[in-house]
Amino acid sequence: MLWDAFAGGAEGRWLITFEGVTKRYPDGTVAVDDLDLDVPDGKTMVLVGPSGCGKTTTLRMINRLVDPTEGRILLNGEDIRAQDPARLRRGIGYVIQQTGLFPHRTVEDNIATVPVLNGWRRAKARARARELLTTVGLDTALAKRYPHQLSGGQQQRVGVARALAADPPVLLMDEPFSAVDPVVRGQLQEQLISLQNELRKTIVLVTHDIEEAIKVGDNVALYHPHGTLAQLGPPERLLGSPADDYVAGFVGFDRGIRRLSFFRTDGLSLSAGPVLPGSATVASALKTGEPWILVVGGEADLTPRGWVSAERLAGLDGEARLADVATDSFGHTFTVGDDSLRAALDAAVLSPAGVAIGVDGEGRVVGIATFDQLRAAVQAAQAAQDALDAKDILNEQGAQLRQRPGAIR
Amino acid sequence: MMWSWIPSNWSEILSLTRANAFLGIVSPLIGLAISLPLGVVAARWRWFYPPTLVVVNVIYAIPSLALFIILIPAFGLTDTPVVIGLTVFSLCVILPNVVAGLRGVPASVKQSATAMGYGPLRRLLTVELPLATPVIIAGLRVGVVSSISLASVGQIIGVSSLGYLFIDGLQRSFPTEIYVGFFCVIVLALICDLILVGIRRALTPWASGRNRAVRPRPRWVLSSQPAAPGAGARP
Repeated sequence: MLWDAFAGGAEGRWLITFEGVTKRYPDGTVAVDDLDLDVPDGKTMVLVGPSGCGKTTTLRMINRLVDPTEGRILLNGEDIRAQDPARLRRGIGYVIQQTGLFPHRTVEDNIATVPVLNGWRRAKARARARELLTTVGLDTALAKRYPHQLSGGQQQRVGVARALAADPPVLLMDEPFSAVDPVVRGQLQEQLISLQNELRKTIVLVTHDIEEAIKVGDNVALYHPHGTLAQLGPPERLLGSPADDYVAGFVGFDRGIRRLSFFRTDGLSLSAGPVLPGSATVASALKTGEPWILVVGGEADLTPRGWVSAERLAGLDGEARLADVATDSFGHTFTVGDDSLRAALDAAVLSPAGVAIGVDGEGRVVGIATFDQLRAAVQAAQAAQDALDAKDILNEQGAQLRQRPGAIR
Repeated sequence: MMWSWIPSNWSEILSLTRANAFLGIVSPLIGLAISLPLGVVAARWRWFYPPTLVVVNVIYAIPSLALFIILIPAFGLTDTPVVIGLTVFSLCVILPNVVAGLRGVPASVKQSATAMGYGPLRRLLTVELPLATPVIIAGLRVGVVSSISLASVGQIIGVSSLGYLFIDGLQRSFPTEIYVGFFCVIVLALICDLILVGIRRALTPWASGRNRAVRPRPRWVLSSQPAAPGAGARP
């Protein structure tokens, strides 16, 4: 089979390469203008830009739904125009906003489409379809339903399962999550990220939503309105070092905050803080002299219970136990090391005490971070990232994209 | 109404009904066989459809009796002029539905079929035609019902059908015969229509519940067909 040749792709090479690709329509409209673009193997490349910028045309040229006017496109080093379109397409998964599911086929037969086209027996293809239903987080009981009997989010998951059925190395996704409500969209994005962590496909995803681009992309190609690239790079670089005012405007005014999603909390220094078990007395809490006390379950149980202010404790019986005192909600915590500085900062903003609670993987309090500590960590991380970006831009002029971890969530 | 006339002429009523059914069913089926390739071409090359529709509408405007008579010199006083005439008329009803059915297949479905590696022919046969089936069968239902009713006109040029009961009853001033013919045509048309509904249900299990509750498309297409006035409107 065609895509057997893709197996075991070497890390860090390009799977899809655009060389001077232009698409000009008969009426003179230029959809894509002299595009050079390398899509790294096993990574998610997001094409983002305003409508009419040529991002969808770019995507459709990869599976030859559109043929370029000039230039060439290489898939795994081979010119795609040298290949039979139908066979080429069976090695490229395709997911679109309207799902494009076949209304006359059951969910399992929809998913089994490409395996059946490839000559699999129907029973084997259906077994594969059921496997994929589980992979995309759907109940196999849905296998015999028709698409119109599913919700929009479920249909979109079936669309993803169908695209993955023949295990293609490349997945093209055209505004895959735009037609569902924000909650479902968030779930689908999370699912895509975890699927991608497992499957390591080369994904090209088109969206007009910069948030989505930053969330799911390893690399982001941001288009000008008329088919040229404004900037290409990892999302944290678009946020931290936008190439020009157009990019800065497109990524939005709170790019500084959003960029914090890419900085880990390992460098953040924590204080042991005023943390007391529920068994401690009000008097001992007041003796710390702290304005806010974090109450945890007990000496051995370090899960946070809530904040209590010294002000409130002052009016209480000194012998009362903290466990019996009403506390204020702590909002949310951040997992030290795993969560980003953005999550830590958010935790501090939401906390009544104005400090973020750092926990370990089991949810036990490790320490607390104040705004001062957070600011120091943010400045250090930004300086390190800026130095990296500057080096990248100098060395590679944006052509080479380093392999780096995606956003921390 | 002379009820005793019915049992004594039972075998003749049956054979006339059979002859009428033959004319009324075979003709639209031939019409369907011609409409499918024409409709595929018209749905694919849009410029082809408007002139075709003009021709089809002009033909549909020819009175049926006139068309049968025009065809007699070529085919003689046989079933053939009637079958050809009814085929042409049902073609006029079915073709627009084939085109509407094929055009009604969502562009996103066609696009994703292509993107998954369907060739044009395979896509037509396994995706587009199945999806157009409810609309095509809606056209076929009108074609069959109107052909069954029109077939009786063939009696005027001597082709056996339930029309015999009308003409004979009129000539003999014997209303019972006319009522029986009337009843047989209606029942025959209803039975054929029900069979077609059954076939549609069997062929399109995916559409059940959906046509009624979610997308009333076939009915809408049927009622707004420019070339499909109500069955039996023809003189």
